[in-house]
Amino acid sequence: MRALVSALVLLGTLLFVPAALAEDTPAGADTTTQAGETPAEERAAQFVGVTGPDAESVPGGTLLLAAYAIVWVLLFLFLVRMRRLQSQTAEELERLSAQIRESEGR
Amino acid sequence: MSRPRQSGSTTLWSLVLFTTLALFAVTLYLIFVVAPVEKQMGIVQKIFYFHVPSAYAMYLGFGASALGSAVYLIKRDAKWDALAVAGAEVGTLFCVIVLLTGPLWARKAWGVWWTWDPRLTTTLLAGMIFAAYLALRSMGDAGEVEKRFASGLALFGLIDLPLIHYSVQRWRGVHPTVITGKGGGLESEMYWALGLSFVAFTGLAALLIWTRASAERQREETARLRFELMHR
Repeated sequence: MRALVSALVLLGTLLFVPAALAEDTPAGADTTTQAGETPAEERAAQFVGVTGPDAESVPGGTLLLAAYAIVWVLLFLFLVRMRRLQSQTAEELERLSAQIRESEGR
Repeated sequence: MSRPRQSGSTTLWSLVLFTTLALFAVTLYLIFVVAPVEKQMGIVQKIFYFHVPSAYAMYLGFGASALGSAVYLIKRDAKWDALAVAGAEVGTLFCVIVLLTGPLWARKAWGVWWTWDPRLTTTLLAGMIFAAYLALRSMGDAGEVEKRFASGLALFGLIDLPLIHYSVQRWRGVHPTVITGKGGGLESEMYWALGLSFVAFTGLAALLIWTRASAERQREETARLRFELMHR
């Protein structure tokens, strides 16, 4: 469960930091290109970031596969964690039983 | 995985397990074979069939945690505390699933991984509240004070659940509203896939909460035995 909590905290951090950085960007920072330049000249002179739907097209199949993989992997990790918790409890119970037998034998 | 001791419970547990597995098999068939590809978003919309039921399973987990906490505060019975811990863990698991699958869908549908939409923000808030609950409970063997404080935190987290649900209607964000009736609805094959997925996720959430609560009760019992042995 610590891994889950860490993942959630990391996710929160990853979400908050870009938003905070975006707010620090100076207002009025102009990203428009100078008129009259060809695309090749523009590329050579400056790099302009794009956001939103103008960004590169992401294949939907890959995103779908990633989403379903995340569900199964997280469920599997949760089951592994429960199994480990039960093993620890069983070991502890065995150790306590041995202690009780030892104290009663005295 | 820990199973309930009684044979009747074990039979019921096995029945729920096999029914859930069968339901998941049929659900996956309906999602990928029967349900059509959505016209505007394409194949990525099929994330919807696991994303929405995961959010519902998150409600079940956090709801169970709040219920267990409330009854524990009244009765001080350890079995209700075990239900609260189990519900918080399972709810957080499904919350992480929702918060990871949602952005993958949003990237294609909205062009961004994340936006501070009311529903997304309130869901993240619920995840953080119950993550705090689990962090509190993971600090060694919790005493009575820690348990009571954690119970209060779970009840505080409960307040956020209706906010998540009604945020779309109240503050109108960009989140889809096809089920709540404000959108254009779903085609019948889509309804079937989603409906069965809801039932499968209900079975899965119930199994996980049941099993985790059982393991937590055994862990508590072991801790009690250890304490008694130390003070003999």
